[in-house]
Amino acid sequence: MSALLEVEGLTKRFGGLTAVKNVSFALQAGEITGILGPNGAGKTTLFNLLTGFIRPDRGTIAFDGVPLVGFAPHRIVNRGLARTFQLTRPFIGMTVVENVVVGCLAPRVRSEGHTEVRAREMLDRVGLGSKADLIVDALSYGDLRRLEIARELVTRPKLLLLDEPFAGLGTSEIEPLAALIRELHRSEGLTILIIEHRLREFMQLVRRVIAMDFGEIIATGTPGEIVRHGRVVEAYIGRGGDDLEARLGIVTESVRGTA
Amino acid sequence: MPAWGSLTKTDVIGAIVVIALLSVVPFVGSRYIVGIMTIALCYAIWATSWDFMSGLTGRENFGHALFIGTGAYTAGFLNVSFGLSPWWGFPAAAIVAVLFSLVIGIPTLRLRGPYFALAMLSGAVVMQKLSIIFSDTTGGQDGLNGLSPMLRSQVSAYYFTLAALIATVIVLKFIALSPWGTILRAIRGDEATCQAAGINVNFYKISALMISAAFAGFGGALYANYQLQVGPDLFDVALSINIIIMVYVGGMGSIYGAVGGALLLIGLTEGLRSFSEYRLWVYTLILILILFFIPNGVIAPAWVRVRDWIRGRSAIFTRRASA
Repeated sequence: MSALLEVEGLTKRFGGLTAVKNVSFALQAGEITGILGPNGAGKTTLFNLLTGFIRPDRGTIAFDGVPLVGFAPHRIVNRGLARTFQLTRPFIGMTVVENVVVGCLAPRVRSEGHTEVRAREMLDRVGLGSKADLIVDALSYGDLRRLEIARELVTRPKLLLLDEPFAGLGTSEIEPLAALIRELHRSEGLTILIIEHRLREFMQLVRRVIAMDFGEIIATGTPGEIVRHGRVVEAYIGRGGDDLEARLGIVTESVRGTA
Repeated sequence: MPAWGSLTKTDVIGAIVVIALLSVVPFVGSRYIVGIMTIALCYAIWATSWDFMSGLTGRENFGHALFIGTGAYTAGFLNVSFGLSPWWGFPAAAIVAVLFSLVIGIPTLRLRGPYFALAMLSGAVVMQKLSIIFSDTTGGQDGLNGLSPMLRSQVSAYYFTLAALIATVIVLKFIALSPWGTILRAIRGDEATCQAAGINVNFYKISALMISAAFAGFGGALYANYQLQVGPDLFDVALSINIIIMVYVGGMGSIYGAVGGALLLIGLTEGLRSFSEYRLWVYTLILILILFFIPNGVIAPAWVRVRDWIRGRSAIFTRRASA
């Protein structure tokens, strides 16, 4: 079985800094995979390389069997690879529904027509239906995250890259958003690649983790394997820190206890 | 989104009232007033065409006079040097202006930063200098004179200009309210997000500039055919800046506001004649006050308030009637 996304030897240097170094991995269709790593590990750069916002110095990206390197970002979206931004970037001054309509106007889905109907349906799905006619400036941070996801989902992606979807959200906002991501994955078989710093929610969401540090992949495995992995623990809490598993274990227990 | 979706009945009635008022000008005004008004309508076409590109996408164009001047000179050359009927000037002016928009837009609109604004500004300055340097063909400072008039009477020229303005506003407003307009406003909101939504932003920016240039070039030819004269001042930086101020005063991105801004500022310039040498002082002072205290513009925001007030009143009436 061939993978949906195959990345081979991807490398990007910024001056003397190698932000992404010889990264290779593959994603199977229908997976939820996480990318873990401390600040500056190259996670967002990797997303920018995959989505055409930055050109790699070396390496290949094959999506659905088609090489993507050199494609403009909008062309990559129209092949079915969409992304959200770490800092939400709505179209200021436009209404919530107009923000999503722009996604419905992407050439990939434009022929489906009924752009406003489709946009409203998607807003209902992500739980923003009642806010569709507000000016986007009035939305809370959590709602802006949902809006980001809605705008990308209307382009009918096969693979969705989520860049820290929980960043800046309160605990009460994270759980519904995580549930939404899980639901999208389950009902549509959407393949998801997610960067996140909120370890607890992250580990519950993903099946497989790619751990990065200094631009390199240092480990790949299930969440359970990753928290026991020596280099990951070292990258996260430094040498001598062996309680990552314990800390995660305790929080996971406490969450289960309250649920 | 339906093309006229966000236009209400009240908007259409308001537009009809304005058109009616403009239509009676030749009946009540002197020859002098009609002349001033014809020129004000030309400015309104230039301002709306600026607003379509820069007001919607947020990419400010500091050299709109480039399109106006090239359009006017094209009409002038065809008429004076080639002896063609003035009517040929309109399509030719639009085409030439579009060619100039491609020369500047294709390389600079892909870049972030001020390059587009600067390229437009310098493009207009360069053309102004060239029109003076090649004085054998362009007439230098004196420009091209003695164009044959397209219409016999001044009043018919006024109505033709008014009709052209109405057509311009309808076409540009129609596009602005269509999915195209949604995309142009999204580009103003955030270009990277637009790309992430699968939109080819360069295509839309360059196309918007082409449309803007076509109408500005057309407006330039209109001005040339009315004044029967074309000069290097049509490339002037002051003209470009004036147009931008008109759009700001009118309310950016509304299209119709630019018409109001142009009429208001031309009217203000004329109305202040009694201040003679202090005219520019007073004009500048009023402008600074407007831009400082009402940065979102005067005309479009004021109309939105009036419209909401009218609709509120009519809602009360219908409620009383049904009770």
